[in-house]
Amino acid sequence: MVSKLSQLQMELLAALLESGLSKEALIQALGEPGPYLLAGDRPLDKGESCGGGRGELADLPNGLGETRGSEDETDDDGEDFTPPILKELETLSPEEAAHQKAVVETLLQEDPWRVAKMVKSYLQQHNIPQREVVDTTGLNQSHLSQHLNKGTPMKTQKRAALYTWYVRKQREVAQQFTHAGQGGLIEEPTGDELPTKKGRRNRFKWGPASQQILFQAYERQKNPSKEERETLVEECNRAECIQRGVSPSQAQGLGSNLVTEVRVYNWFANRRKEEAFRHKLAMDTYSGPPPGPGPGPTLPAHSSPGLPPPALSPSKVHGVRYGQPANSEAADVPSSSGGPLVTVSAPLHQVSPTGLEPSHSLLSTEAKLVSTAGGPLPPVSTLTALHSLEQTSPGLNQQPQNLIMASLPGVMTIGPGEPASLGPTFTNTGASTLVIGLASTQAQSVPVINSMGSSLTTLQPVQFSQPLHPSYQQPLMPPVQSHVAQSPFMATMAQLQSPHALYSHKPEVAQYTHTGLLPQTMLITDTTNLSALASLTPTKQVFTSDPEAAGESGLHTPASQATTLHVPNQDSAGIQHLQPTHRLSASPTVSSSSLVLYQSSDSTNGHSHLLPSNHSVIETFISTQMASSSQ
Amino acid sequence: HRLSAEERDQLLPNLRAVGWNEVEGRDAIFKQFHFKDFNRAFGFMTRVALQAEKLDHHPEWFNVYNKVHITLSTHECAGLSERDINLASFIEQVSVSMA
Repeated sequence: MVSKLSQLQMELLAALLESGLSKEALIQALGEPGPYLLAGDRPLDKGESCGGGRGELADLPNGLGETRGSEDETDDDGEDFTPPILKELETLSPEEAAHQKAVVETLLQEDPWRVAKMVKSYLQQHNIPQREVVDTTGLNQSHLSQHLNKGTPMKTQKRAALYTWYVRKQREVAQQFTHAGQGGLIEEPTGDELPTKKGRRNRFKWGPASQQILFQAYERQKNPSKEERETLVEECNRAECIQRGVSPSQAQGLGSNLVTEVRVYNWFANRRKEEAFRHKLAMDTYSGPPPGPGPGPTLPAHSSPGLPPPALSPSKVHGVRYGQPANSEAADVPSSSGGPLVTVSAPLHQVSPTGLEPSHSLLSTEAKLVSTAGGPLPPVSTLTALHSLEQTSPGLNQQPQNLIMASLPGVMTIGPGEPASLGPTFTNTGASTLVIGLASTQAQSVPVINSMGSSLTTLQPVQFSQPLHPSYQQPLMPPVQSHVAQSPFMATMAQLQSPHALYSHKPEVAQYTHTGLLPQTMLITDTTNLSALASLTPTKQVFTSDPEAAGESGLHTPASQATTLHVPNQDSAGIQHLQPTHRLSASPTVSSSSLVLYQSSDSTNGHSHLLPSNHSVIETFISTQMASSSQ
Repeated sequence: HRLSAEERDQLLPNLRAVGWNEVEGRDAIFKQFHFKDFNRAFGFMTRVALQAEKLDHHPEWFNVYNKVHITLSTHECAGLSERDINLASFIEQVSVSMA
């Protein structure tokens, strides 16, 4: 179709020219932006040429072909000034072109960072892939990303190209939406300008609003019928339009990001596969890695077959397992929601001394899992932050558990922060923190609650490998009862994930392994929150609730590698130092603070997208729990 | 305006030779054009349209994809006139070049 259009355009242009219209007249009629037709002339002034690579013109009989040939070179240069995709003809008049230039000039005078934020938010609002900008402006993708996200300086010329693209894109999109009903979508505005480049349309991408709707629907029913899917299609498109500030009746203007039944169907299918995959991983972990000699005998004691702590995590993660450990720990487990957490703690207690080994082995197993990223093909979107979050709590929709998890990470930070042990997998990191807390309490199989407080106070560099289990116990206690909203949970998970992500870079895998270590924390049931989390910067999340955290112990969250976000140390006293290493300065402080720290560290660590907006809620809650437990 | 019989005898045979036919029931000439595809058909129509504008004499035509049916007649004289002949000639010229 595209080629036909261009051919028709060629025909029409040829007709125009043959009708006696001189090239010059035509160019002038087209307006300033398109002076590439000048015979024998290349008025492609660096200052103003529109690259306008018009393929169709190349074939015009009146010798425009050569013009185009030379145009290509200038186009590249022109990229810096004007997006090559711009069709001169689209600029209805020279006034419009001049207007656009004026706007670009204004933007150039503005503070680059502020404009960058505007452009970035526009990209997010309309779900435009960076690739499109890169293709049309000729900017370097990495440079562009850094400029938009971090404010890395960009030269004026390049910024001009970017702003020009921005201005034109806005016009395109506006046209798209106004012609929504007419189907008059212009290929180039939405897709690549060159037909040969990656096809015509941008790849479809789910927006956060749509994902939220879908996750909620997924919770209600994993397998919607066609009618339900269609309903969801309408809902999602409406939400996407609203997000873009457009009337929902103009949904066609969404272009490549229009939600269709097929896409909804695929989304549900992928989520189901993901869940099955996580379940499978959990099953493997549960029964797979053989426990060490020590753990062997102790394991039976826990009533959880196989790996005690590890078992817990998988069970927690998957509702199936849930029952088993829960039963064994019934005594300790307060409630179903708190069950997983509790169960974890219970076994931990018992295995405290011996448990270390199993946990250790578990950890190693986890590590393996992490490194290998699972044998079976992971579900489609396992790479998404959301996904990772989901994984941790596939079967569980209990936020409280999440909270606990969150707390666990915090503890971890406090821990010895052995890079070695932590390095390979995040589980280690988590473990380390936990270990710290537990280290002090190890000897005593102190109930989790108690240990929390005590362990916190005695934060010392503890070997991760062993103490991992005990540390888990601590966090378990307080948060057990916390019924955190899904979002917070997600946030926690996200945070937990962050450090993990850093290590393994595989959200789902990381989560899984993490689950092993921190069974409770890993349960992220609220997938919807995941999306929210994903979109939220971790640092922000953490800090909002900081004030809640009881004494921020100067836990240094392992700011880690991820640091994608600027951590806004608003309140978190303790979290301030998000350090790149996951070395946690032993800060024998409140568990809540540890939780907080953890969260922040997580956030900083890694997946910024993992941080949920409700993070603050979680933190608050956790801190409350911690406080009570420590007492 | 209207073409006299002599003029018709002079001019119409040429057109008839290339495919123009007289329409029954009205004093007009008609021809069907066939192109390779829509692009060419419409390109042809564009050229004819531009010329028609220039001549201020417009055809009656129908287009479906690659077919164009043109009927030429002069409204003000309710019949054929010189303008029709001119336009027909131009149309022939263009259609040949369009192939």
